[in-house]
Amino acid sequence: MEHFDLSRRKFLKSSTIAIGAMAAVGAGVGYLQKLTTEKRINQKFLRPPGAIPEKDFIYACIKCGLCIQICPVDALKFAGIKEGLAYGTPYVDVREQACDLSCDSIQCVETCPTAALYFVPFKNAGEKAITEYDQTHKIDENYNPFTVQISAMKTEVKMGEAKVNENTCLAALGKGFKGTPRGDQFKGINRSPKGNSPKATPIKDKYYDRKICNLCVTECPIGESAIVLYKQIGINGEEKFLPKVLDDCVGCGVCVMVCPTREPSIIIEPINS
Amino acid sequence: MPTKIKEELPYVKADMSFKSWREKYGSSHKWRNIRWAVLLFINVLFFLSFLLDLSLLEGSLSGSRMFGFYLMDPFNTLQLLVISVYTGHWVHLTMNFVIGGGTIFIFYFLMGGRTFCSWVCPYHFLAEWGERLHNYLVKKKKIKEHTYNRYLRYVFWVGFLLLAFFTKNLVFEDINPIGIISRVTIYGPGLILLWVLFLISFEILYSKRFWCRYVCPVGATWSMVGNVSPFGVKFELDNCAHCRDCQSVCLVPHELWFVEKGKATERRHDVGSDCTRCGLCIDVCPGEALSYTIKGWDRIL
Repeated sequence: MEHFDLSRRKFLKSSTIAIGAMAAVGAGVGYLQKLTTEKRINQKFLRPPGAIPEKDFIYACIKCGLCIQICPVDALKFAGIKEGLAYGTPYVDVREQACDLSCDSIQCVETCPTAALYFVPFKNAGEKAITEYDQTHKIDENYNPFTVQISAMKTEVKMGEAKVNENTCLAALGKGFKGTPRGDQFKGINRSPKGNSPKATPIKDKYYDRKICNLCVTECPIGESAIVLYKQIGINGEEKFLPKVLDDCVGCGVCVMVCPTREPSIIIEPINS
Repeated sequence: MPTKIKEELPYVKADMSFKSWREKYGSSHKWRNIRWAVLLFINVLFFLSFLLDLSLLEGSLSGSRMFGFYLMDPFNTLQLLVISVYTGHWVHLTMNFVIGGGTIFIFYFLMGGRTFCSWVCPYHFLAEWGERLHNYLVKKKKIKEHTYNRYLRYVFWVGFLLLAFFTKNLVFEDINPIGIISRVTIYGPGLILLWVLFLISFEILYSKRFWCRYVCPVGATWSMVGNVSPFGVKFELDNCAHCRDCQSVCLVPHELWFVEKGKATERRHDVGSDCTRCGLCIDVCPGEALSYTIKGWDRIL
């Protein structure tokens, strides 16, 4: 009996310590969560396609890394300990490797088991496109609903929107660009707009010669409906150019990746906050 | 059961002295080697799947896909359910989530629950080496042993679920050494390893196998599953010499309570749910009193 009492007292004591420790951790986590979520949103922390709002994403993501591993261009990175509670979650560093929308089926969203990347809107868009295609196309040898489905799904991607910094943009300053935009050590590739070609040329092997720099416009996987070089006439009658971001921009970040200025003159504002 | 008379002891039957009998039969490492091979194979497969872009075992131990088939960490599943029922996210959860969570529970129900701990968990592997160091330090009287009540794990189990509920974050996953080590083996080392280093040093210098024995809610979940699992370790009194070598190597020695002289109430006992089915006791037992079993199976045969 005495032995039992002693062990019970010991158990109660260690339980109290454990509960106290967990309460402290809980308070700390609650505080840190508030702090770091705001910080991440302010820092333009870009989540993968289909990501649900940050406050939900942080619990829905179980940090399994399936999306990171399935990405064909390795655009998704996993957040380090510096991101605090976001440790282990996926994000896109578009300056290093943009999500160029060249994948076969937006696998990152499809693979997510916990709907932190929410697939249903993509699926619906794809099915809707197929139904419409079926109604307007006869079944013949050119019948290929798959590409229609995929491109419809890709229009559902909305990670953010590009914003141009007019103070440093080469086009806005009236400058051209000649050479390789990111140096010969840069690892990023852009497989679009040629789409599913796995042999796409890396950025470091591409050579550009433009009178007025328009790399962001020509490299954009969406094309003219997302970004155009817009001509303005200045006060003194001189011609001025400026890349203008339009509604169809999905925030894929290819423009950021190819921007030749030291600090990118175009950035992605995440919509997901 | 009455205590055995001298003639019934297995080493007397074999006509040997206890010491030579124990030396001859009690130094196998068969199951330990098999187990370490399986454990390393699984963790290296994660690494290779990512490195070589193979579709064998993608993801990490927090959630993975084996040949296209989803598997989920059980405590992540529970935490996510607790939070998402409250926030309404559960309606979005995918079929793959149900398959992953369901499969892993069925699989470890069949395989014995805490089998995960000793056969898959990479932290268990590190902790086994930490335990050796700890035992050495205790033997040299450099440090003292500190033990706690094993039910502390259930306090942590409930606690971490409540924490997840109140903070709306997978708190445990942030400090889970299983997930951390799994990610480190796949993507390369990071600062987060300092936390694992702290845990392992605490285990070496203060309390033996602290995390596995008293904290880990993943192990606690598997322990509950192991309660009803058919696969386990059985004990046969007739072959036991009460040397208690098995208890000295066991992670959960309280589960081997029946090996002490006069404690066993039956000729055969099954080891309880905290058992990780690691097989160290089977290896060390000189009399083959302990062996793997499928409960009910041998009775059918």
